[in-house]
Amino acid sequence: MVEEKRPEPGKKSALLLTVLVHGALIAALFLGVQWKRSQTEALEVELWSPPVAVTPPPPPVVKPKPEPPKVEPEAPKKPDIVVKEEPKPKKPEPVEKKPPPPPPISFKEQLAREERQAQARLDAQIEAEQRATASQRALANDQISYAGKIRGKIRGNIVLPPGIAGNPEAMFAVTQLPTGEVLAVSLKRSSGNAALDAAIERAILKSSPLPKPDNPAVFYRELEIKYWPFEE
Amino acid sequence: MNVTQDLSILHLILEASAVVQAVMVLLAVVSLMSWYYIFMKWFAVRQARAKTEGFERDFWSGGDLNTLFQGATAARHNSGSMERIFAAGFREFTKLRGQKNLDAKDVIDGSRRAMRATFQREMDTLEAHLAFLASVGSVSPYVGLFGTVWGIMHAFRGLANVGQATLATVAPGIAEALVATAIGLFAAIPAVLAYNRFSHDIDRLATRYESFMEEFSNILQRQMR
Repeated sequence: MVEEKRPEPGKKSALLLTVLVHGALIAALFLGVQWKRSQTEALEVELWSPPVAVTPPPPPVVKPKPEPPKVEPEAPKKPDIVVKEEPKPKKPEPVEKKPPPPPPISFKEQLAREERQAQARLDAQIEAEQRATASQRALANDQISYAGKIRGKIRGNIVLPPGIAGNPEAMFAVTQLPTGEVLAVSLKRSSGNAALDAAIERAILKSSPLPKPDNPAVFYRELEIKYWPFEE
Repeated sequence: MNVTQDLSILHLILEASAVVQAVMVLLAVVSLMSWYYIFMKWFAVRQARAKTEGFERDFWSGGDLNTLFQGATAARHNSGSMERIFAAGFREFTKLRGQKNLDAKDVIDGSRRAMRATFQREMDTLEAHLAFLASVGSVSPYVGLFGTVWGIMHAFRGLANVGQATLATVAPGIAEALVATAIGLFAAIPAVLAYNRFSHDIDRLATRYESFMEEFSNILQRQMR
C-alpha cells in the first residue's frame, strides 16, 4: 500500500515564527550588549602643565553667541509697553493731546540709541574675546604638541621596573636651560612606587637636552611634567 | 598600540577571525533550521494529538464500524494517524473475512499486521527531524566552543607581539571569541528542550496508538463470531 505524502502542517507559519524568534534574539543582543569604554579619550588630554595658568579656550567662544538673542527679545517688549500706555491718557483727557506723544518718541529714540551703543560695545567685546581666544587656542595647541614631544622623548628613554600596578601618575618639576639641557629634576608628587619614580627621573635626565618647541612662546625654564608609565 | 574601543556585538562579529566567523555563520544557519523544525514539529504534534482525540471520541461513542471506515477513507488526505491505523486494520479485516477457508485467528493476525505496518509508517512521519534537533542540541555547544578556543588562541598569539600585556589588549579578542560560544548555546538550548518535549509527546501518542490497536483487535475478534 503506497501512502501519498501529506503536506506537513504550518510550514509557512513555522518559517515566519523562526524569523521572528531570531529577529527578537538579534534585537536583544544589539540593544543589550553595548559595551563601550568612554574614559580612554580623556587620558591624553593634559600630560603636563606650565607654570602660567592658561584658561581653557573652548568655553569663551561658545558663551558670547547666546548673548545677543537675550538682548534682542527685551527691545521689542519695551516699545509694546509704551504703546499700551499711550491710549490710556488719550481717552479720559482729549484736550491734552500734545504733551503725551513727545515723551514716548524721545524715549523710543533714546532707547534705540542706547541699544545701538550697547550692541556696538557688545560686538567689540565679542570680537576682542574671539581674537584673544583664537590666540589662546593656538598657544594651547603649541603647548600640547610641545608636551607630546617631551613625553615622547622620555618614553623612549624609560626602562620600566617590573610589577607596576595600574597606571599611576607621577609629577616632576624640571628646570631646563634655553638649549633644552636639564639642570635639575625633583619629584613633586610620587606615583606611590619608588622604583617607578626613580626610573622616570633617570629617563628625564637621560632625555637631556629636551626637545625644543615649534613656537618659542611656549618655552619655559621651569616645567611641571606629569607622567604615566603606560600609554593607553 | 591602539585597541579598538567599540565592543558592540556587530563590531565583535565583524572583527573576528575567519575561522570564528565561519563557525558563527554555521551556528546561525543551524539555529535557523532547528527553530524551523521546532515550530514545524510543534504544529504537527499538536495537530496529531487533536485528531487522535477527535477520532477516539468518535470511535468510543459506539458508532457503526462501517460508517466510521467510510468516513476515514473519504477524508484520507485529512485524517489523523489513529484513523489511518483503524482504516488499514478494518480494510484488511473485511478482505480476509470474505475468504471461507481462513481461520478466525488468521484474520485477526492479518488485520493486526496491517495496523502495525501503518503504525510504523505514522511514527516515522511523526519522528522525522527529531534526530536533527537532538544532534543540534548535543553538537552545537562544541562547535561554539571550538570557535571560542580558536579565537582565544588568536588573541593570545597577537598578545605575544605586544610588550606590555594589559587586560585591555586581551579583552576584545576574548569577548569576540566568546560570542561563538554564546551563539552555540543559543542554538543548543532550545533544540534540547524541544527534543525532550517532542519525544515525550510522541512516545505518549505511540502508547495511545498501540493500546488502540489491541482494543480494536479485541473488537474485531468479537465480530468474527
